[in-house]
Amino acid sequence: MTDQPQTDEDLPVIARFEVRRRAYLAPDSTVLGSLPRFAADTNLLIALYRAMVLARTFDLKAVSLQRTGRLGTYAVALGQEGVAIGVASAMLADDVLLPSYRDNAAFLWRGMKMEELLLFWGGDERGNLSSGPAHDFPCCIPVGSQAPHAVGVAYAFKLRRQPRVAVCLFGDGATSKGDVWEAMNFAGVWRLPVVFVANNNQWAISVPLGLQTASATLAQKAIAAGFSGEQVDGNDVIAVRAAAEKAIAAARGGEGPSFIEAVTYRLGDHTTADDAARYRAPEEVQAHWKEEPIARLRTYLVSQKAWGKSEEEQLAAECQERVEAGVARYLAMGTRAPETMFDHLYAELPNAYRGQRDEIKRAFHA
Amino acid sequence: MRQFMLPDLAEGLEEAEIVVWHVNAGDHVVADQPLLSVETDKAVVEVPSPWSGRIARLFGVKGDLVKVGAPLVEFDEGPEQDAGTVVGQIDRGEPSPADTPVPLSQARPLLVLPSVRALARKLDVDLNLVQATGSGGTITRMDVERAAKSLTDAGPAEPLKGMRRAMAQRMATAHAEVVPTTVTDEADVDDWPNGEDLTMRLVSAIAAACASEPALNAWYNSAAGQRRLVKRIDLGMAVDTGDGLIVPVLRNVGERDRKDLRAGLDRMRADAMARSIPPEELRGATITLSNFGMIGGRFASLVVVPPQVAIVGAGRAAPRVVPRRGQIAVRRILPLSLTFDHRVVTGGEAARFLVALKSDLER
Amino acid sequence: MPEMTLVEAINVALARAMGEDSNVVLLGEDIGVNGGVFRATVGLQQRFGRERVIDTPLAETLIGGLCVGMAAQGLRPVGEIQFMGFLYPCIDQLVNHASRLRHRTQGRLSCPMVLRTPHGAGIHAPEHHSESAEAMLAHIPGLRVVMPSSPERAYGLLLASIRDPDPVVFLEPTRIYRAVKGQVEDNGEALPLDVAFVLREGRDVTLISWGAMVKETLAAAEELAAGNLDAEVIDLATLKPYDEETILASVSKTGRCVIVHEAARTGGFGAEIAALIAERALLSLLAPPLRVTGYDTIIPLPRLEQHYMPSIGRIVAAARKVCQFN
Repeated sequence: MTDQPQTDEDLPVIARFEVRRRAYLAPDSTVLGSLPRFAADTNLLIALYRAMVLARTFDLKAVSLQRTGRLGTYAVALGQEGVAIGVASAMLADDVLLPSYRDNAAFLWRGMKMEELLLFWGGDERGNLSSGPAHDFPCCIPVGSQAPHAVGVAYAFKLRRQPRVAVCLFGDGATSKGDVWEAMNFAGVWRLPVVFVANNNQWAISVPLGLQTASATLAQKAIAAGFSGEQVDGNDVIAVRAAAEKAIAAARGGEGPSFIEAVTYRLGDHTTADDAARYRAPEEVQAHWKEEPIARLRTYLVSQKAWGKSEEEQLAAECQERVEAGVARYLAMGTRAPETMFDHLYAELPNAYRGQRDEIKRAFHA
Repeated sequence: MRQFMLPDLAEGLEEAEIVVWHVNAGDHVVADQPLLSVETDKAVVEVPSPWSGRIARLFGVKGDLVKVGAPLVEFDEGPEQDAGTVVGQIDRGEPSPADTPVPLSQARPLLVLPSVRALARKLDVDLNLVQATGSGGTITRMDVERAAKSLTDAGPAEPLKGMRRAMAQRMATAHAEVVPTTVTDEADVDDWPNGEDLTMRLVSAIAAACASEPALNAWYNSAAGQRRLVKRIDLGMAVDTGDGLIVPVLRNVGERDRKDLRAGLDRMRADAMARSIPPEELRGATITLSNFGMIGGRFASLVVVPPQVAIVGAGRAAPRVVPRRGQIAVRRILPLSLTFDHRVVTGGEAARFLVALKSDLER
Repeated sequence: MPEMTLVEAINVALARAMGEDSNVVLLGEDIGVNGGVFRATVGLQQRFGRERVIDTPLAETLIGGLCVGMAAQGLRPVGEIQFMGFLYPCIDQLVNHASRLRHRTQGRLSCPMVLRTPHGAGIHAPEHHSESAEAMLAHIPGLRVVMPSSPERAYGLLLASIRDPDPVVFLEPTRIYRAVKGQVEDNGEALPLDVAFVLREGRDVTLISWGAMVKETLAAAEELAAGNLDAEVIDLATLKPYDEETILASVSKTGRCVIVHEAARTGGFGAEIAALIAERALLSLLAPPLRVTGYDTIIPLPRLEQHYMPSIGRIVAAARKVCQFN
């Protein structure tokens, strides 16, 4: 027995946590440690590169269409192409994607056509009749509200004993939302086959990460929900791909959910209607341009002699051509008759609303 | 307006071909952000932005050859126009005209249930004519049915047309404006020779009375508050045709002889019956005579039609028992009524006029 | 035929649906081991297992969103929200997702989910346990809102709701969970949705109601009958979309209408029905449509609760008033 009073230091530690950070290519494209095995397959890396360039070309064209009145409000993923491509490329067709509204690159990778994406952002619901997997969710505008859907989907997989995974993409702002916490918490309790991917581009419109959370990482929020979280350099598509592969495989193998925090930077405005210069300094953005994912992978590929000038030219031309073709198909699509706004409201339009549909039909076709 | 020219990317470079643009006009870019890729003879090279700013315009398209030192991009200098939204488009509008609420006009409503209203429409009943017996003054179904029945009993409604319509309008206007006062008397015409022309005697009596009391041969413009005494006497002669009342004007009765007046009067009457009186002959009376006694009746309060200020009424000349020189006698008596507009004519003027009228008739 | 209470009928219907279709899954707080705070799900976890009768964490938004995700994958989730007062965190998932999923994907995805929740006041509960927010839900395009008023209709309408390919909010009148008993045959037969039930035929006045208030409305009809006034009583049952034709046929016949709901007056669902009648039955009306409702105030705590609720007396008075009008 001692006379000395106990200090808090003597209290037993009952929980600790750790969060690891995954990165393979430094911002200057030098290799950190050793690359994952798939990175030896230059064809795969080139496929990832091409997909990112195509996505960026599409984004820039979408902005141009918006500025010329041929597309509605659009959200570019400038500088974050590595996240969507890295994640989508690790998914199987049978897995389900539940994206935010800034993940068009993932849709494109999974087979959605450019004209379908443009049709949706151009204001026509038909765009969501995606040529990608029929079970993928459309983009989600109310931030974070797709997370509970993801665990519902994952629960169905578990109940039916299907080896499928739900992959849920959202931004740093979404992690402040109750929906996301509630979903993660449930996923942890039931060990569901779901991967949560936070595209931490450090801005939620004008609110910087420091005002969004006091948490040192977003990844550690998973620990509170009972599973592991990993931070990844979101501008290193190899790292994103590796993290996603591992997480998806674990989920598919019955090991439950995981969380990937992909750290990138939102180089563009929040949407075409936003002016980011109002709330952030150009010097800060300028500095982050030096870390962007496309240049990073290109430099590495060039250093491996797997890529060069003629390939770059060819790719640029090809992307332009493909995007222009998609745009042309989009612009050739007309607008539907207004009575179609009643289509698919229910499986079958109730009697109570048929009169309204007829009214709008008469007025329009008169 | 700042312009960014194609820099010297390689030794001895003279020109380069645009491979692809990475930005659009209108974009915000930051220093070092790739603007475009160009091809030199050595490689495809990204050209970074030299500074931050908003791009006003791009020079050249894919495939163009640009010389070193030639402009590539023009940057905006001016202040940004804040879109003021993050989605969609909030249009800026013109200042709207003053949008002040107006008080509601309180019309007196008819209290009728919709189904009763529909019934009234079906039965062709004017709800304004229906007497309401329901609680709170509502018109009930029975009220409408009763009104419909009485209207059926009454015969079909005929809209007023032509002379009747004109009369209705004229009388209403007169009633709204004039302050009518009537004074009456009787003239003993028993001493007239047989076959004396009553109408002509009235005409000349009026002329004499107007000479005696000119205030009754006048026009009054109430809006301007002006009275105009008229020298000439144009006498309106009320004529009852089968279709209604018509008042053609016998001109200048003060100066024409009796024969001329009679002929004019006969022609006028014939034209009235034939309905062929031209409109000018219906206008401009300075005083009117209504010889209603030709049909029947004694005294009347007649209607003064503006701008006239007086109207003379002659009832039926008939034998009456009257006191004469202290004895009861039976004499032929002509009842006289004079209605005048008391806004303009005094009681004294009217009385004097009537006295003069009577005197002339009793000659 | 077995006699059972309304909440027992719900239990039987759930068991039937789960037995018929392995896609039917229940989720909610305390529904598994505890069988639900009102025992609506008693015995079901024992019978169907904990993977199909899920005790969720305390998270209403999650329950709504889970249903959306499950339904998109072709499960038939039936979520329970413990009280309507706690439904509000689900409004986001109902309005922004459940009601829209089919429409915004043009039929590629759909949402055959049911959210069940106890509705209404009269159980002397603490605050927030007496909500009647059906008008708020009935305003949402793409949704169905169903409210039974008897054990038989609870059974048949719940089966119909679970089998319906579109999202349904199923409001269960708490006050009559156990207060009424009815004959319910567990034959798997659903009742039609979108259809009103004429519970009593009459010539003189139409009384329209739903949920627990149907009980008082029927009692009012009896009292009116003693005074020689013959009331027709309609149970709306499905509030969205609702059966306009039955209402209009009845009002065309009687010319007089009283709508009864315990929810607050302004913007209550009675206003919608009154508007319909004014629009399409105006020339049949012999009196204005009247509403007998809760007051436009926060529903009071139990001490004053019974003064807030529409009583049989208030319904009878309104019916007499319209019959004596003009």
